Amino acid sequence: MISRIFDNLLGRGSAAVTVPPMDGALKPNNQLENLQPGIPAAQVDDIVEWKGEPLWSDGATLVSRSGVQAELPSVITALAALDDTLVVATLDDGLILLGGDYQRAEIAWATPITNVTAISVDQSGVILFCTGSQTNAPNEWRRDLMETNQSGMIGRANPKTGEVRILAKNLRYPSGIATTASGSIVYSEAWASHIVEMSADGSNAQIIFDEIPGYPGRLCRQENGTFWLSVFAPRNPLIEFVLREPAYRKAMLQEVAPEFWIAPHFYSGRYFNEPMQGGALKQMGILKPWAPTRSYGLVIELSSTFIPLRSFHSRTGGSRHGITSALQSGNTLWMACRGNGEILEMQLVEKGKAL
Amino acid sequence: MSLASSIKKARYRWLPDHVFGELLSKSWIDNAIPFTIMIIVVGVVGSLLPNFFTGSNIGILARQYGELALVVLAMTTVILVGGIDLSVGSNFALGNFLMLYFLNLADLPVGLAAGLVVLICGSVGLVNGVLIGYLRLRAFLTTLVTLIIVRAIVDLLLLEYAQDMSMSFYSSPLWDLMGLGNVSIFPFSFVILVIVAVIAHVIFSRSGPGWRLLAIGGSRRSAYNMGLPVKRIVCLAYVVSGMLVGMAGILYAARLSGAGTDTGLGLEVLVLTAAILGGNSLGGGRGSVTKAMMGAVTVLVLTNGVLRLGLNSGSGPMVLGLALLFAVFVDVRWMKNRHKLLNTVYVSPTLMEMPEPRTTDEGPFKVNDRLSKVDVIGLGDVESPEDVILDDEDYLYCGNRHGDIVRFTPPEYKTYEIYAHIGGAPLGMSFDKDGNLLVCVGGMGLYMVAKKDRAVTLVTDETNRSFFSIIDDSRLRLADDLDVAPDGKIYFSEATVRYEMHDWPVDALESRGNGRIVCYDPKTKKTRTVVRNLVFPNGVCTSHDGKSILFAESWGCRINRYWLEGPKKGTVEVLADKLPGYPDNINRASDGTYWVAIMGMRSPALDLALRMPDFRRRMARRMAADQWLFPNLNIGCVARFDDDGEIIESLWDRKAANHPMITSMREHKGWLYLGGITNNRIGRIRLEGQNNRWTGWSSYWGKKSGENA
Repeated sequence: MISRIFDNLLGRGSAAVTVPPMDGALKPNNQLENLQPGIPAAQVDDIVEWKGEPLWSDGATLVSRSGVQAELPSVITALAALDDTLVVATLDDGLILLGGDYQRAEIAWATPITNVTAISVDQSGVILFCTGSQTNAPNEWRRDLMETNQSGMIGRANPKTGEVRILAKNLRYPSGIATTASGSIVYSEAWASHIVEMSADGSNAQIIFDEIPGYPGRLCRQENGTFWLSVFAPRNPLIEFVLREPAYRKAMLQEVAPEFWIAPHFYSGRYFNEPMQGGALKQMGILKPWAPTRSYGLVIELSSTFIPLRSFHSRTGGSRHGITSALQSGNTLWMACRGNGEILEMQLVEKGKAL
Repeated sequence: MSLASSIKKARYRWLPDHVFGELLSKSWIDNAIPFTIMIIVVGVVGSLLPNFFTGSNIGILARQYGELALVVLAMTTVILVGGIDLSVGSNFALGNFLMLYFLNLADLPVGLAAGLVVLICGSVGLVNGVLIGYLRLRAFLTTLVTLIIVRAIVDLLLLEYAQDMSMSFYSSPLWDLMGLGNVSIFPFSFVILVIVAVIAHVIFSRSGPGWRLLAIGGSRRSAYNMGLPVKRIVCLAYVVSGMLVGMAGILYAARLSGAGTDTGLGLEVLVLTAAILGGNSLGGGRGSVTKAMMGAVTVLVLTNGVLRLGLNSGSGPMVLGLALLFAVFVDVRWMKNRHKLLNTVYVSPTLMEMPEPRTTDEGPFKVNDRLSKVDVIGLGDVESPEDVILDDEDYLYCGNRHGDIVRFTPPEYKTYEIYAHIGGAPLGMSFDKDGNLLVCVGGMGLYMVAKKDRAVTLVTDETNRSFFSIIDDSRLRLADDLDVAPDGKIYFSEATVRYEMHDWPVDALESRGNGRIVCYDPKTKKTRTVVRNLVFPNGVCTSHDGKSILFAESWGCRINRYWLEGPKKGTVEVLADKLPGYPDNINRASDGTYWVAIMGMRSPALDLALRMPDFRRRMARRMAADQWLFPNLNIGCVARFDDDGEIIESLWDRKAANHPMITSMREHKGWLYLGGITNNRIGRIRLEGQNNRWTGWSSYWGKKSGENA
């Protein structure tokens, strides 16, 4: 208690505003920035492999390479494939199931499921879902961060019986979920910048990947056991500082338009009313790629033991920011780039070979 | 809420917390701790001893003080050069003995005896100096050895002559004056001390040898590398130390007229404690005579107090030891943390309530792309052209960050030459009546490049110092933009007195009135400040009628008018406020209006932070400067306004591709030329509907006829 007061006074310990560095496997590169222009998708969010090809959500529509497949009444916030059924979460309708022809299947959940940020399906065909926040819908994620909420949940929903069970509560914006080969559940807690593993019944939760230099989002497990982690926004000392300044934050939420908050975003540099940090002052017409930024593009491959193996970046001043989802299909990595509104494709090569 | 906010307003209005940082940045602030200690010690001891503050007691103390402080001064001299002199105690005893010997047994006159003693004690110092300075032996060990040897010599001499000396008693008026007499009301030794101290102070703080000595103490290797005679100066410091000790020994001999084996025993520890307790850095290079004097007072009062309080016999050394420990602790911690503390407290934001900005969605400030098709001049060849200006022969001038004035040749502006080299960072420019180029140079002041031979001369680099300012604001730190009034007086702005050239955006975090408008009168060659407490004043421009000057207050987002004549002479009025960005340079337009460069745009997040100074203060303390919330200086525009402050139009580049920051623009023969302090190019764009023959210089100085009438 006393040490907490001292920390707050002196800006140490939990009140420090330092952010983890990007080094080792997270060493910055320009691989996302160097990709060919992707498929335009302005409101792209999640990608899933369904019926053998990638399918992504773009606002309220479901799109594949061959074009728009279906349009739903409300904005889609997460996708998962359950054999022939597509599990979809939307802003207004919560968790719904779509048949092979995109017809909505009737399902009555025991309790309503809202604000879903990510879905996964385990081996037994039970849906695992993340509710990011009790109070803020997924499209209000920035507000949820600025309110420093801890109201996220992880739950299981059985599509056969409609039974819903909450496995974990009071989480700091869970926004990605996957199962491991051994059947345990891993989820990312965005506002805590870490990934947690717990057993299938929600017990034995422990942090397995900590100090992520951004806000981790969706997790996608490959057949070989590795994971793709999308980091949808960077951490930034100024934002960390604002998160520790209740008076300023409250006034900002009330008075300043959301676009211009000191808060992470999928993109930045579009409007001149956005906040700027000292290091981002252009010198001789050049914005330094290591300058402080509110948006960033980052996808990390994690080993089955959650050690980062490699990462792809789009740095400050780049456009491929706000990667919300990644999916490997064969040797191609598909990525949903919300910041630039496009679906990116990257041909993967084995680590150690030239790209 | 309103009460709370008015309390907050009053607090930031009347409690100038930037003063704290400014105090810390003064070099004399090192004296604060020793001074406080001295006052406390004198106060405590004085209140414990009943008759401490009586005249006789003070007189006795002052006489002892004269001797002690001379030795402290000797020690300080050596400490400042990065050494230590432990032999002061035995050297002192030697001086005392020799003085008595010369007077009593050798029958020399006082003056000659004293001179000899000073020379002999100085030669002991010379031995130290040669060993330490030239032969590079360790100061601590060497002087320890001298301590022992000289003490042994004194003991041998005492054995030989003590009896003889005690038999005779020398007396003369001068000798009595030295020992017991006063000059006016001051004891003789105290007067000697004051004379020596004043000389020493002048040497250390105002003379070349003193500075060199301090430089060697600060960094011996650097001093050597820059060519200072390190060995000689180190040696001389020990010689001076020995001579000062000899003087103290003489005074001691005059006061007590006795030589014993315990004379000067343990004096070195006492003196070392005094020197360090006064705030002289044990590492060398930092210290002063004042500090030595303060330390001597503290130690003298402390030891006398302990003695007279009748404490146990061990308590005297104990108190001294603890004081030395404390002094070393403070020395180390203060040296280590002073700059850290200064770094964290120097930025001191104040309360600033920004009015709602004018809209950029419609009206004159509506965002457009009229600047997207600029011609680029000197891409990559000029860095940081803050201001651009053209003469009547169409040559284009700009400054760069290498300190040059670059001149581009018309009509293509493809080739350029270095017109003049000034140094510093040339900022605002203006031509006077004779075509000489006047330049405000960041970090240097106001300079002039003559038209006929391109000679660079200093016009002015200082103004009158403000009475209540703690930092010396007489030197111009960031002269920014200037213009010439019809009577030839040069009005220029100094954007901030608290930050140097490269930290200027940090001033936005403070948003205090740190800047001023200064006037230089070429007739009297006098510089004086005409308006103070302006929020980053910038962009000085004489109005078309010559009756007032216009200037921008950048962080205040407003344009002001300062009246030079007429009924409002000497007053400032706001011409246009609530600008959506930060105005920089202002220049005349051909149709009787004015151009203003908007160097950056306001962000609501920063406007909100300006209302919360404590938020900004914590931000400045806890984060690296690169992470601070800044004004958005990566995009701007150019606007035009008239004498009523009405904004007429604005020119933007939405993508800010060519000119991320526009700090200046000049209209010349139908073109608008753009400069920016973070850019590596100059831009120019054809203006529609402006006078194709108008030039800036003729607008100021041309014949008032035809089109410029």
